[in-house]
Amino acid sequence: MNLKELYQEIILEHGKNPRNLGKTDNFNKDAKGHNPLCGDNVHVYLKLNGQKIVEDISFEGSGCAISMASASIMTDLIKGKNEHEAKEIVEDFLGMIKENPKLNSENLKEDEKTKLMCLSGVKQYPMRVKCATLSWHTLISAIDNTQEEINSEKLD
Amino acid sequence: MNIDTIKKEFPIFDEKIQNNDLVYLDSANSSQKPKVVIDRINEFYTKEFSNVGRSVHYLAVAATNLYENTRASVQKFINAKDKNEIVFTKGATEALNLVANTLGQNYLQEGDEVLITELEHHSNYVPWHFLRKSKKIKINFAEINDDIEITLEEIEKKITSRTKIISITHLSNVTGAILPIKEITELAHSKGIVVVVDGCQGAPHLKLDMQDLDCDFYAISCHKMYGPTGLGVLYGKKKWLEELPPYQGGGGMINEVKKDRISYGNLPNKFEAGTMATAQVIAFDQSIKFLERIGIDNVVKHEADLIEYGQELLQKNNSVKLIGNPKNKGGVLSFTIEGIHPHDVATILDEDGVAIRAGHHCCQILHDKLNIPASSRASVGVYNTRNDLDKLNEAINNCKKIFNQK
Repeated sequence: MNLKELYQEIILEHGKNPRNLGKTDNFNKDAKGHNPLCGDNVHVYLKLNGQKIVEDISFEGSGCAISMASASIMTDLIKGKNEHEAKEIVEDFLGMIKENPKLNSENLKEDEKTKLMCLSGVKQYPMRVKCATLSWHTLISAIDNTQEEINSEKLD
Repeated sequence: MNIDTIKKEFPIFDEKIQNNDLVYLDSANSSQKPKVVIDRINEFYTKEFSNVGRSVHYLAVAATNLYENTRASVQKFINAKDKNEIVFTKGATEALNLVANTLGQNYLQEGDEVLITELEHHSNYVPWHFLRKSKKIKINFAEINDDIEITLEEIEKKITSRTKIISITHLSNVTGAILPIKEITELAHSKGIVVVVDGCQGAPHLKLDMQDLDCDFYAISCHKMYGPTGLGVLYGKKKWLEELPPYQGGGGMINEVKKDRISYGNLPNKFEAGTMATAQVIAFDQSIKFLERIGIDNVVKHEADLIEYGQELLQKNNSVKLIGNPKNKGGVLSFTIEGIHPHDVATILDEDGVAIRAGHHCCQILHDKLNIPASSRASVGVYNTRNDLDKLNEAINNCKKIFNQK
């Protein structure tokens, strides 16, 4: 996919109408991400239930189309996954965007993989990869905070 | 001045870049290189290579002469009084670090003030910040006006009894604003203030005359002047260069080295420690000859026409907003497009073969002030044509189409 096609797809799909934009009600984990080079900002909100399943996830932020679309797609895919699956998906995505030719995660359905592979076009632009990965790193940071004892108690 | 002929001197324009003819509008970042410069590097390494200033064999002497020829050419090009006022550095960044560091050692005291501007590139801020940490000096910022330029009056307003140094850009790499260096220097000198000029954008776009400007230091980036990377020039008035301590220690910069004492070499060797960028210096002579052949007045005129033309085009383009409207400007057009992040703009323009820069252009202070995270910047050089700016405008329109922007 060339970059123009990527842009068209992403903009039509997510840029104009980002999923899960805003602050999740009753979120219990969150983390902020910032890219000082582009000025991209993202704030990821998670609501994990007692089974550590992502009951709700959302983001707020500003930045380029790639970073916003990436956050939008991410929140779509992560919703409903458990914490372990979510982390595995993040790892798979980061691996794909940096070097792997495809996604390998068993936690993603084929159509979900196709959706995520839309972002693979940024691979040829190393300067833009960090735009695509910002929200994903931020998600990990949010999840890791939940591992703290005190946070787990908040879930109840 | 025939642009087609000039453009033919740059081999990169014979290349297809991602199947497109290259529209290169990123010269403020780094200019392309004419064949004479590329060939000179090749020729020097192939047939004439030796280190300079050390050995007495034939090649060493010949290389030293070539190296010193460039120094003389630079002196003439910027009309410096003395050849020894020209110091080669690894870039303008090193030149500015050299000035800040050595003035910090010898000249500045705790509580002294350095006046810079909100237009400064990080390389004319961070070196002074080091002194803010180590010497507890204070840094003041002259503020931009609504046209995003710095006036003499604003400089005057920000001078205090503790101001020891004014360090300012000659030409803003974001708005293209040209600062009144001569007038600022006159004012500064009347109050005993040292003037340092970041000439990275000034040198490729303006006619330089050090004796007329009268500033104390002027930093030049050679790779922005159709020259090789890894090379800069620091012009410094002789009395200052003599007074300041060396910046780096090593071979070539010493006079006599004993176990208990070391004396330093004369100018300019005192500031040229270690093996210098020999091939780059020698090839840079060709860059200067190239510019002299065209005539710097012609360069200025040509670029002024391009900027005026580009400005008109972009002003007419809906949703494009030019950054700043300085009365006196050159070389650079920065802009934002409503609803489209500059990085998306640059990436999409690149698909059409139009190379621009997006980001904060190493000017975070200015972008913060303007309350934008980044901007897009088109900058011109001798090889650009009005057609390049038409293509820029077309590519911007394509970009707007993708984003459904009117």
